[in-house]
This record gives sequence, C-alpha cells and structure tokens, in this order.
Amino acid sequence: MVGLGRSSGAVAPFEMRAADVTDPASVAAALADVRRDKGVYALINAAGIASLNLVLTTPAATIRRIIETNLLGTIFLCQQVAPALIRRGNGRIINFSTMGVPLAIKGEAIYVASKAGVEGFSRAFAREMSPHGVTVNIVAPGPIDTALIAKVPREKVDAVVRQQIIQRQAKPEDVWNIVSLLLSPESSMISGETIHVGGA
Amino acid sequence: MSVSYEEVERFLRDEVASLTAGPPENVSGATVLVGTSRVVDSADLVMLLLAAEEYARDKMNVAFDWTSDSAMSEARSTLRNIGTLARHLTDLQPA
Repeated sequence: MVGLGRSSGAVAPFEMRAADVTDPASVAAALADVRRDKGVYALINAAGIASLNLVLTTPAATIRRIIETNLLGTIFLCQQVAPALIRRGNGRIINFSTMGVPLAIKGEAIYVASKAGVEGFSRAFAREMSPHGVTVNIVAPGPIDTALIAKVPREKVDAVVRQQIIQRQAKPEDVWNIVSLLLSPESSMISGETIHVGGA
Repeated sequence: MSVSYEEVERFLRDEVASLTAGPPENVSGATVLVGTSRVVDSADLVMLLLAAEEYARDKMNVAFDWTSDSAMSEARSTLRNIGTLARHLTDLQPA
C-alpha cells in the first residue's frame, strides 16, 4: 500500500510518498513504479482541501488551488494509476466527493464545484474503464471529524448533519465500511455510483 | 543500439493483430487507429498504447508518455495509423 501526500513525513501504517497532486509530472515521478505494477488493485482519491467562504469574497488564487487539488488532482492520479489496473484486468477506483454537492451548502460553493466535477468525471471515467474490468465509484461523506473541518463551527456541522437522511455525524469507520464494500469482489457490478455517507 | 522503424512497426502490427484477433497480414503501417476507419476500439487502443509504453521502455530505453503535452498536442497525427505511431516511437530515441 502506498500513500501520497504533500510530504512523505506523514505518519501512516503504510509507505508515504510526497507529491504535488496538481502537477502531473510530480504525480508521475512519485508513482512511476505503481503505473507498471500489476499487483496494484485499487486507487483511492481522498485528498481534498476546502475554504469555507462566500464566492464573492474568495480570492482567485484560493479558487484555483481548490479546483486544482480536488478535481485536477483526482484526474491526474487516475491517469497515472489506471494503466496498472488495466494491465491487471480488474480493479477499483474510489474518488471522494462530499455531501455538500446534493445539499448545496452555503459557503462551500467552490469546494462543492470541485467535488461536483469529481462526480461528473468519475461517472464518465467509469464507462471508459468498464471494458477493462475496473469500477469507478464515488464516496460522498458529510462532515467527518477530520482536519478538513477542524475550523468549521459546531453549529454549521450540526446543520449539515440535520439534512442527512441519517441524522448523526458519521465516523471515519462509517466511511471505511463503504470503501471496504466498494473494494470487495462483491461490488463488481457497482460502477459510476455516488454513495452518500448518511444519505442525501 | 537503437531500434529501427521497421522493428517498431512490426511490433505494433503484431499487437494490433493480436488485439483484433485477425490475421497479421491484414495489418500494415497504414492500418488506421483512430477515426471512422479505425480497426481497434477505444479499449483496445488503450491496450495498444500500454504495450507500446512497455516496449519503448524495455526495448528502446525511452519513455513514451502518451499523456504528455508534447505527445498529445499532435495526438491525431501520432495515433493516426500504425506507421505514424511507429515513427513517433522511433523518433523518441536519441539521434
């Protein structure tokens, strides 16, 4: 298992490599061996950044950084790793979106735009990968207790949770349960789907 | 020692024949890879490019990055037929 992050120093129970996901050359350099490795079974694109802000007060540089990291980063990772899955003849790609897309959360328009792009990309890419036995799906969590929402006020988190079908804040293991299902052989007929953690 | 255009083209012809399950003699340098007259579908084209990527690395000691700006800016001509792809791969080698 190989993880990709902004720095290779992140603590993880697997090998961590550093790359700038917005730079395809950086991604290619970090994962050159992975692209050729038929042992690779899955790609999980969970990297994401957000900036809670009104569109009208968000600097252009911030907008660009969010779109590049969340959307282009996902696309570049798929470009780099999908050949390994094609060589293998099967595999799984799981891209992360957000509950913010169906809920249209105020103050997250740029983040939502980037993740809506991920969803559209993933659905079309699923068709492209289908002949090779590779499924592409989307997991869209609500507010999980991670660094991504560390600065989001509690009342805003609660307001989002109240809009979920299951009105409790999901835990990381709830997300993992869905990822685990999509990674399993039993999910071979699921592709191009978005699964909202907690229901939207 | 560099790999000749003829060797690269022969490799590509064999790959296309294998992908299309047709007789090799029906495949030539003029065999079309993209467009309305193509003989491979998009999935087979990906498989061909993957095979070409491995061949370039293992036999020619060059990197064939088919997503690079330089390769894809002329994608229509590079991928037009087996001959143009063979020429592109051959030209990747240092003179």
